[in-house]
Amino acid sequence: MTLQTASEVISFAKKLEEDCAKFYENLAQRYTNDREALLSFANENRRNIVLIERAYYGVITDAIEGCFSFQINANKYMFETKLAENASYNAALNKAVEMEEKIIKFYSDAAEQSKSLMADIPRTFAMIAKKRNIRSSKLKSLQRL
Amino acid sequence: MALLEEPIKEVKVLNNFIGGEWVQSQGEIKDVVNPATCQTIAKVPISTKDEVDAAVNAAQEAFPDWRATTPVARARCLFRLKELLEEHFEEVSRIQTQEHGKTIDESRGETRRGIENVEVACGIPTLMQGPFSEDIASGIDEYLIRQPLGVFGIIGPFNFPFMIPLWSAPYAVATGNCVIIKPSSEVPNSQTRLAELADEAGFPPGVWNVVHGGRTVVDRILDHPDIAGVTFVGSSPTARDVIYPRCGATGKRVIAQGGAKNFMVIMPDCNVAATIPALMTSFFGNTGQRCLSGANLVIVGEDNSFYNNFVDAVCDAASRITIGYGLDESVQMGPVRDEQKKKRIISYIESGIQQGAKLRLDGRKNMRIRGNYPDTCFLGPTIFEEVVPDMRIGSEEIFGPVMSVMRAKTLDEAIVMCNSNPFGNGNAIFTSNGKNAREFQYRVLSGNVGINIGIVAPMAFFPFSGMKDSFYGILHTQGQEAVRFFTESKVVIQRWL
Repeated sequence: MTLQTASEVISFAKKLEEDCAKFYENLAQRYTNDREALLSFANENRRNIVLIERAYYGVITDAIEGCFSFQINANKYMFETKLAENASYNAALNKAVEMEEKIIKFYSDAAEQSKSLMADIPRTFAMIAKKRNIRSSKLKSLQRL
Repeated sequence: MALLEEPIKEVKVLNNFIGGEWVQSQGEIKDVVNPATCQTIAKVPISTKDEVDAAVNAAQEAFPDWRATTPVARARCLFRLKELLEEHFEEVSRIQTQEHGKTIDESRGETRRGIENVEVACGIPTLMQGPFSEDIASGIDEYLIRQPLGVFGIIGPFNFPFMIPLWSAPYAVATGNCVIIKPSSEVPNSQTRLAELADEAGFPPGVWNVVHGGRTVVDRILDHPDIAGVTFVGSSPTARDVIYPRCGATGKRVIAQGGAKNFMVIMPDCNVAATIPALMTSFFGNTGQRCLSGANLVIVGEDNSFYNNFVDAVCDAASRITIGYGLDESVQMGPVRDEQKKKRIISYIESGIQQGAKLRLDGRKNMRIRGNYPDTCFLGPTIFEEVVPDMRIGSEEIFGPVMSVMRAKTLDEAIVMCNSNPFGNGNAIFTSNGKNAREFQYRVLSGNVGINIGIVAPMAFFPFSGMKDSFYGILHTQGQEAVRFFTESKVVIQRWL
């Protein structure tokens, strides 16, 4: 599935954030040791949705190439959030890292492709990608040896 | 991709908004049809002369108190309107798509640009200030005050049902005037919803009025002796032959914005990858139905290889545009507003063929409509090559998704082509050479000039300019010029003895 319009890309970003938030909430329920950290990731995802919406709705204009900016292959960034019943905590964290890497790639690609749009949109995408890089490191640090 | 939810769910007869009341019209009723689905979504009255008179009376009655309301208090109404528009941003955007057909990205862009005018008008306490000169002679001071004039008529077009009346209305009411908005009867829902929100924002009864209808309403607005001025956006013949002279005959101020035939000039040094999407938006955005749309693509130079590669890239991009109902987020181009307009565009395509232009991409056939919709109002992007300026498709406003490709040996020749056309609305150059860009900006006869921008839409704090057959009047809508249009300058020279 190729996303071409700004509206599609924003909706897709929101879906990634929401799916990801639910994944962390599920993890927080199952693995209570790092509950607070995992819930903070979910909260941050929901804040990202607000940031994305604010950037898009704040600067969308019919004069810029809103319908013609993107060629995003959505399939490349989709991820599975279902965990096996008996998955270990480390396995769950590995899955989270994989998921984050896909999302980082999505935001980086979207930032690159949206350079012709008003600056707020690529800047927001790039900022979220940067925050997620930090999160990815945190996830790795949570892994038990 | 699933459709976004339609905000208009049942067919209602729209009412006029006069003196703070929703009033049923006595005029005949006409269907408002969604051009993508061909379903009736509302019924609009074609109001009578008496109903315009009632709106003028209500506005006149409201004027003295509204004028005496402090600019800060008037601005607060606008701040509340801005907040309500933000709150209902998505709803008003989807209404535009439902009644006009444009894509949801385009509708949201229109909403944002409309709101920006409300935001600019919120600054009215400072925007209205006049200069003051102390001691122009010994003990004598001179200053200027800006005063509202009374009642203004705002006549909107079909192509931007929400935004275009907002180029005028916020400034008119912010400066202390009262308005009567006549939306296009083809797309009356956006202004109806806007009036509901203006009412909720607390504008006193009679300050913000809406009268639906057609020619009768326009005639009465133009002829009414108690209307101080009119803003109009529509076709050039109407602006030139109807609005402008009749406002002159009745002593009204007038801003009459007409049509366009915009040239996009391509220099061989342009950034091709960035230029192609800009051209897609320019020529095919809003299905070509805007006065800033690209119409003629002029490729400069004698390098056949550049020309062929560039036109191939444009045709390839245009042929892949996804067409459909704008509430499907994947759609890049919606339908034409109605079947009559589609027929008119097709007649231009036929004239292009008859006059010898080379049809490179045929929008009559190149229609990949996403979803199961009737093709009644859909038309794909059309591209002609070998167009010369005296062909109809090269000189007249088509107002549809049709690109006419021309060639010019030099930039000088391209500028002459632009300037020979009777319109002067939004011409642009695509180049990475500053000297070329400056030369174009300096010489081109166009109210709005783009440099690597395909749609030269001025922000709310700049005037929406226009030249030649694209504009009749002196001051323009938006920003400071609108403030001046809606106010009388009064100069006071004072000496205390």
